[in-house]
Amino acid sequence: MELARILRRASTSSAGAVLIALLAGLLLMAVLAPSLPNALAAFARGAFGTTYAVGASVNRAAVLALVGLGFILAFRANLTNIGGEGQLAMGGMVAAAVALKTDVAGLPFGLAIVLPALAGACAGGLWAGLAGWLRVRRGTNEVISTLLLSFIALWLVYWSVHSDALLRQPRTSATSLPESADIPNGAMIGMLVPPMHQGIVVVILLVALVHLTMTRTVWGMRLQAIGLNAASAKRAGLSIPRLTIGAMLASGALAGLAGAFMIQGEQYNLKAGFSSGYGIDGLVVGLLARGSAPTVLVFALLFGFLRSGGIGMEIGAGVPSAVVLTLQGLVILAVAGMEFLRLRQARSLP
Amino acid sequence: MVHQHFSLVPELTVLENLCLGSGWRRFDRARERARMAATAERFAIDVPFDALVETLSVGERQKVEILRCLVQGPEIVVLDEPTAVLPPGEIDALLGLIRRMAETGKAILLVTHKLAEIERVADRITVLRRGRVTLQAAGREVGRKALASAIVGDAAAGIEMTAGRGSRRIVRRQSGVAVPPAALMLDGIVLLDRLGSRRVDNLTLIVAAGEIVGVAGVEGNGQSELALALSGLMPFAGGRYFVADTELTAATPAMVSAAGVGVIPEDRHALGCILGMAVDENIFLGALAEYRLGPFVNRKAMRQATGELIQRFDIRCEGPTAPFASLSGGNQQKVVLAREITLNTRRLLVAAQPTRGLDIGATRTTYGHIQSAARDGAGVLLVSSELDDLMAICDRIVVMYRGRIIGEQAAGAYDRAALGGLMAGHA
Repeated sequence: MELARILRRASTSSAGAVLIALLAGLLLMAVLAPSLPNALAAFARGAFGTTYAVGASVNRAAVLALVGLGFILAFRANLTNIGGEGQLAMGGMVAAAVALKTDVAGLPFGLAIVLPALAGACAGGLWAGLAGWLRVRRGTNEVISTLLLSFIALWLVYWSVHSDALLRQPRTSATSLPESADIPNGAMIGMLVPPMHQGIVVVILLVALVHLTMTRTVWGMRLQAIGLNAASAKRAGLSIPRLTIGAMLASGALAGLAGAFMIQGEQYNLKAGFSSGYGIDGLVVGLLARGSAPTVLVFALLFGFLRSGGIGMEIGAGVPSAVVLTLQGLVILAVAGMEFLRLRQARSLP
Repeated sequence: MVHQHFSLVPELTVLENLCLGSGWRRFDRARERARMAATAERFAIDVPFDALVETLSVGERQKVEILRCLVQGPEIVVLDEPTAVLPPGEIDALLGLIRRMAETGKAILLVTHKLAEIERVADRITVLRRGRVTLQAAGREVGRKALASAIVGDAAAGIEMTAGRGSRRIVRRQSGVAVPPAALMLDGIVLLDRLGSRRVDNLTLIVAAGEIVGVAGVEGNGQSELALALSGLMPFAGGRYFVADTELTAATPAMVSAAGVGVIPEDRHALGCILGMAVDENIFLGALAEYRLGPFVNRKAMRQATGELIQRFDIRCEGPTAPFASLSGGNQQKVVLAREITLNTRRLLVAAQPTRGLDIGATRTTYGHIQSAARDGAGVLLVSSELDDLMAICDRIVVMYRGRIIGEQAAGAYDRAALGGLMAGHA
């Protein structure tokens, strides 16, 4: 009985939900893996085994955290920005373009790094801001518009690396791939501990900044007000169009910055499909964090390490890394289910 | 059941709307059409079956609603405020249709605010007031006066008369050297609802500084729209709106507040507050410019100011940061009142049904605050369906009927029967 109660209580906390999902994932691995201990060892090696593994995981987490922060910021105003993938792609593409096609690389004081990153953030912001503008002007639902804008963004990246007039590297041989040349060294973000780049520091600062913005600032309070009751907020004199577009700009800018970090901190050149689902995973991270910026960081790290571990497991133990994707799905289901239980309990209370 | 608000799909044709929800077999257009046409003919309802509903007038839509109800062959038909949206000509047609339906042996329950309609079609009448039956009688026996008094009530409902307010102000205005500009001036305003029918029709009204003007009337005669428009949430289709010397005809809610107009909205949950935020946030959301330190909210100052308002307005809550949803209805209303009176009301207070849902005590304090706002020099426009309350505190009462002011009485010369008659549309 005691155990049942503890389980019940655990199941209604986020940590409990994640734990349950991980246990279910373990079960799945036991079925799929030729040898469970081997698989777990490979997972651990892939996720934490080496400094390299940890660094790669943290870099992943940083990208997810930025997209997740963007999501919760817009969600504060009851705007569901599911186009993180596209905003990230725009950010990466513009950052690469600025680094390659302008002379920023020679600039002093870190401007060579900062300017492309800022340009990337602006591009992501404008891409989401477009959805905000459409909503304000035409009432277009931002869920639809951000999603569709994502497809456009992904194909824009594809186009840019296939077109010689745009970012495709010079064709020096028959084998030169349709991707951009490497960005100049000056525009590459330095390392903390390779491969962990210095952008991580910025991400941590941004977590704090978004948290403060949402909880302490006038703007944050206004966003919350239009999110909770737009009619009353309007009556109180708030400008809903301005706040809507502002929230989308900021939300997209965070995702755009994530794209810039991926190019300038890890990949160093632009490939079609470089965003490879990080925007979607980041959206999931934002959803799971349920509006809390610090929690975004926690889930971003969890998903970052899961991804790396999954890749390690596929290489080292022959377990399909799709198991990790399944695991992510289970985490979402568990957290959603926990929310359902919580609501039901809250209702049954006297 | 025919609801007050239409439940038709505008993008479908009349025939398709009529057939919605009737069966799951193959849709046989010709057969359905014949069936509908037979019913329509029986009741002499004339609707264009192949027209899109969005192209129809309000009256035609109403006919479609009623026909949809009739094809199911009901024994009892409930009509909820069917004439609320109709222009006068269409009302006659509808009443004729109602009589025809009754003659075919159906029982008709007609819910309405309009006395003239009752007189013309009702066989029996039941009056509900505050959830209680106050009159039951056969239709033609009841005189209109008796009906009106059953609706508005006879006994004063526990609001004390506060004597001598009006006269004092009038004296002051006569002896004053410079006559201040009117707190509110409405010049021939016209308001249209989404379907384009005139909710307020060429209404002209002046409220002097310090004066409390009551707007009486049966609900649905344009009072709600008037209050919405005055708070900047509904566009004017005609006329002009001035507060003191400022024209607010095309103003946003922020400009209305800045001009010194406080508004207590009729629907406080939809427009007056944000349930998911704290008491202090609800009060100062529109005044954050004064409670900020750089980009940050000055929570300390906000909490302190809220604490003072909680004391002054006797708001029962756990403190300035208590969630708004944790307050009782009366206390929520006090928060709205405190905010609108202290932050916005410098020239005009528009209060729409401010005591709805409040108990006697809260009602009394609410009126107390409204009166003191008037004593401090603001004009007050008080919209209420409680005639007793209006007679107790207003310097003047105007009666709205079908979007117009059809009569007016000043304090000291109030005549309940005459006001009731005006509310029923008898000038």
